[in-house]
Amino acid sequence: MIKRIALTVLAAGFMTAGSLAQADEHAIKVGMSGGYFPFTFVEQDKLQGFDVDVMEAVAEEMGVEVEFVTANFSGLFGMLESGRIDTIANQITITEERADKYVFTEPYVYDGAQVVVKEGNEEIEGVEDLKGKTVAVNLGSNYEELLRELPYADEIDIRTYESNIEQDTALGRVDAFVMDRVSASQVIKEKPLPLALAGQPFSKIRNALPFRDTEQSRALRDRVDAALASLRESGELEAISEKWFGTDITRP
Amino acid sequence: MQVLDFDYMLGLVPVLLRYLPLTLQMAAVGMVLALVLACGLAVIRVLRIPGLNAATLLFISFFRGTPLLVQLFLFYYGLPQLMAFLTQINGVTATIMGLTLHFSAYMAESIRAAIVGVDRSQTEAALSIGMTNGQLMRRIVLPQATRIAVPTLMNYFIDMIKATSLAFTLGVTELMGATQKEAAGSFLYFEAFITVAIFYWIIVELLAWFQRRLEIRLNEAYRR
Repeated sequence: MIKRIALTVLAAGFMTAGSLAQADEHAIKVGMSGGYFPFTFVEQDKLQGFDVDVMEAVAEEMGVEVEFVTANFSGLFGMLESGRIDTIANQITITEERADKYVFTEPYVYDGAQVVVKEGNEEIEGVEDLKGKTVAVNLGSNYEELLRELPYADEIDIRTYESNIEQDTALGRVDAFVMDRVSASQVIKEKPLPLALAGQPFSKIRNALPFRDTEQSRALRDRVDAALASLRESGELEAISEKWFGTDITRP
Repeated sequence: MQVLDFDYMLGLVPVLLRYLPLTLQMAAVGMVLALVLACGLAVIRVLRIPGLNAATLLFISFFRGTPLLVQLFLFYYGLPQLMAFLTQINGVTATIMGLTLHFSAYMAESIRAAIVGVDRSQTEAALSIGMTNGQLMRRIVLPQATRIAVPTLMNYFIDMIKATSLAFTLGVTELMGATQKEAAGSFLYFEAFITVAIFYWIIVELLAWFQRRLEIRLNEAYRR
């Protein structure tokens, strides 16, 4: 009896393992965190957001299927690196380090870095007030780098988080967090957390889709780039942006 | 303080139920494989098989001496950089591998303790009536050792179920991964995480009930 149960369990285990391992030539595998509102998030088990819509439109334009793979943000580049996904659609900002290692598409979102504080915090009115404060950023994001480049970086206590930086700022465990302006405004507008923007965005950022720097991946990047360009031309890219943000974030 | 959003929590239950099978499946497969491996390792340790004994010691030392999360990252992200074909290993398989190796190291030691814990007189009696080493193990020592090992092994199984919550770092959306994504969409952190906590709690309580039943059965021969 026990032996039979064990065998069934084993068989079930290997069957799922097998079906997940199958690669598909006619699909593009897109990694995202599923935890970056409103670009990629889940409600009632449905993955949605700006990046989901963009990638679905891109795949349709290319005539391929799109397969979304969700994982913690810090695991995404590892999955890209080890060939488990083709690209990451999670508002990946083009930085020098990343551009050395990966090939990017043309930017599809233009944005700025924004300081966000707990509602009622009047001490911090912009990035120049972060001196001596505790500031949260997401692990593996480029905002940590942006903060470290500030001339007074030594005086900022930078905390890196796996997730939930909005919550910890609202709770007052950190003085502020830094994120892109677009999603920060969206979080404040739509979610029940007492947060406020502090001052103007302090750095221009351009977000794009990274691919591995191999011949095969570069060819795929070119096809995605072409699809993005025609979506831009047809106005579909702008329409997706309008749907989520009420403004066009896809142009500089 | 805000009032709890009960409707949201109720809405989350059917969503999380969809991910429960994967969590249980990873833990169950991991447990079966870990038990097999741990029994082998324990026997090697008890019989002090030359060569294998040293390798087993090294195995136990490594897998008990490093965090499970480090081992999972090593299998999933690290090894494929050395050997490209290992990219074939998906998140579910890597999680099961990690759970198996990690917990078998712990379980081997508790199985070894159970074997050693069977009274020496039992072994002597078995040998005196001419049993071989194999017969001694199968008929006398292991059945008694099982009874001693069950409580600690159940403990490891419970721990393993909860350890599956690390799988989301490998891109496996199981119970915890689904909750994290839902919480990121709603920003209702307390509601989301207390719901998933209750899920794990109920699973573990069901197991504890099963364990009590099992122990009563295993103790039947000892009742006076």
